[in-house]
Amino acid sequence: MQLDFHYYATYCAAFLAGYTHEECMDICYSAQFVDECTAAFLSRIMVPDKYATTQLNLELMDMPTDILGLQKITGIWTAFHFLPYDLYAEKKWASKRYKNKYRLICGPNGELVSKTIDLAKDKPLQAVGIAMHILADTWAHRYFAGTPSLVINNTNYDFYELIPDGNGFTERQISFRHNATLPDDIEKGLYTNSLYQGNENSIMNLGHGRAGHFPDYSFARYKYTPMWGNYSEILKDNPSDYMNAFCQMIYAMKYLRGSNDVFELEKYDTEAIADYKERIRGILEKRQLNANADWKAFGEELSGMEIEDFNINKYLDEYRGALIEQKKHTFLGKFLNAALDQKIMVKSEIQKSGNILVGFPSKKLKGNNI
Amino acid sequence: MTRIQKIKSFIFSIFMIIAAVALILYPEHAYSYIILILGVGLLIYGINTLIYFFTMARHMIGGKYMLYKGVIFTDFGYLTCTLNNIPRIYVILYLVILHSFTGLVEILRALENRSHGGSFKLKLAHGIFDMILAICCIVFIKDTHIVVIVYSFGLIYSALFNIVGALRKNV
Repeated sequence: MQLDFHYYATYCAAFLAGYTHEECMDICYSAQFVDECTAAFLSRIMVPDKYATTQLNLELMDMPTDILGLQKITGIWTAFHFLPYDLYAEKKWASKRYKNKYRLICGPNGELVSKTIDLAKDKPLQAVGIAMHILADTWAHRYFAGTPSLVINNTNYDFYELIPDGNGFTERQISFRHNATLPDDIEKGLYTNSLYQGNENSIMNLGHGRAGHFPDYSFARYKYTPMWGNYSEILKDNPSDYMNAFCQMIYAMKYLRGSNDVFELEKYDTEAIADYKERIRGILEKRQLNANADWKAFGEELSGMEIEDFNINKYLDEYRGALIEQKKHTFLGKFLNAALDQKIMVKSEIQKSGNILVGFPSKKLKGNNI
Repeated sequence: MTRIQKIKSFIFSIFMIIAAVALILYPEHAYSYIILILGVGLLIYGINTLIYFFTMARHMIGGKYMLYKGVIFTDFGYLTCTLNNIPRIYVILYLVILHSFTGLVEILRALENRSHGGSFKLKLAHGIFDMILAICCIVFIKDTHIVVIVYSFGLIYSALFNIVGALRKNV
């Protein structure tokens, strides 16, 4: 997903869940900040990179992909962008080495989603925003894993976009290219993806890099044959999945602010959007590179307040100016502590399953120190 | 970088320096060593690819490609190890491509770091130095002994760079 959903749509969902405009701004800022909190950003505020929630492309290229490098990459991307669906999934005749990767395939409504939401309960709004980012991404990034893996994440020529045409759909093969300077061309079906690398652990094979940015567009409907699927074809319907993500976010946030007593998987608050369903569907299905303007207009109509544009430096001075013992009470301090809690929780669960891709079982996970 | 990665990088750098000094001291054998290293490298890569096929890629669509690749590279590895007279120009061209590509990538990384407000000078310097090495290889393409020395200095420079990186404190 991209800024339009993580920032503006999260604002809308938070408002529909009952939060005030100010609270919604904190939540959606935190949700989007998950995509911005890199080691390069943290170095500007002298914070260790263990608090990073994402990595720049070239930071990834700098990482060695030995087991320790893999653990670091996987620790970040599984915890915040590709939450694993089933850490104990089985595959016949597969080696442990293969299963360690296979079990990290992302999907919605896994047990870790529940744990993520529970972790954000009774925590600052920054934790709520982080949880919403992760929940939303389980829908967009399903079928890909947050670890570099050719055998899981690679794609091939069998990748078709389904374009609405009257009452049906037209199939068009997607042409992937590698020129990162060119924007995706929706009309011609040209999308940028990462280079093919035959090395299993190449960072080119991380997440949906081999499918480019395409899975992050809300309008995208596509079918393809995933590398891990024994030649079975998968149909991915983003408008429908994104609608589920939006309704699940509302449901989860109602639980987090105390309106609902429990959070259960596979439950979606469709009532909250009953009056806006067609409007939301229209935004999700509109073929455009980003839906910022549409979601922003919708959010501002809902709350009657202006939603300011995302600014990565918004809370920088507050953090820099705070005394050391006060930093944990700043916006960024709360965000970083919540992020570390989430990372430790996911890593612990993955380690518990006997998977060494986020760390060796004996390694003690360190807590907060902001 | 974790502590283990730092130790690994440090030890590897020491070996790089030893190898570079050996190449400078015995330039007449340098090409044979480079070919030997290349051959053994291909052999290890081929065998690794075969192991990769049997443990991972056989579950992947199109995974048989890895089987073919493993067999071919193992074969190339054996073949290269048996060669003792290869035109030196190919080895030099290999060095030119290696250094220019590494230099370009380092410069691009430095520029991206700069655009995000991070440190970039060390990386930029490394990238520029690699480009200079590539240019030197082209300039001295006829004098193969000088190229060996240039290459060895490149190795020493990279090793020192890695040692500095390993000794640097994490933020």
